[in-house]
Amino acid sequence: MNTYELVVIIHPDLDDEAIDQALTRIKNWIADGGGKIEKTDNWGKRRLAYEIQKQREGIYYLMDVILPPTSIAELERNIIILEPVMRHMIVTKNES
Amino acid sequence: MIDDSNSSGSNDRRRSRSYSGGRRYQRKPRYCIFCSDKTLELDYKNYSLLRKFITEEGKIRPRRQTGACAKHQRGVAREIKRARHIALLPYTGETWEESIR
Repeated sequence: MNTYELVVIIHPDLDDEAIDQALTRIKNWIADGGGKIEKTDNWGKRRLAYEIQKQREGIYYLMDVILPPTSIAELERNIIILEPVMRHMIVTKNES
Repeated sequence: MIDDSNSSGSNDRRRSRSYSGGRRYQRKPRYCIFCSDKTLELDYKNYSLLRKFITEEGKIRPRRQTGACAKHQRGVAREIKRARHIALLPYTGETWEESIR
């Protein structure tokens, strides 16, 4: 089990309900993979440094995820398909 | 005596070069700032710190400008690339001010 940081940028035009829905889907995928979310951080709506999918803003969520390394690929595949997510990044959390 | 005057002369030259060479170029720090300040954490989320390590065009500054040691320069480069991926930093220069319009 490793600790990962997952950043997702969600489409800015979505309402809270759709965002919640997307986040619960991510949560379920993580649970299916045998992991859990340590904490979720909402950075709110931020201006992007460059346009992604014609959007200049995005809603950022940062999650600390504990997950066995074998299910990372699966999770990543699922997130790519998830439509509200414009961009995601999974990195191992640096211990310091 | 000759040595003294020589060294002070080279110092002057270096100082003047660092001020005249390029408006935005920060004077080269003598030490790696991450080695001298252990509390500084290299993190892609700390984009305001990383902004100091990119040029106006968004390029990663070379080591001769940042003064970072090899180990930390690698870390800086890695974190900048991460920050770019999640649109905290630009890949190219055109950003904020310009795109607000």
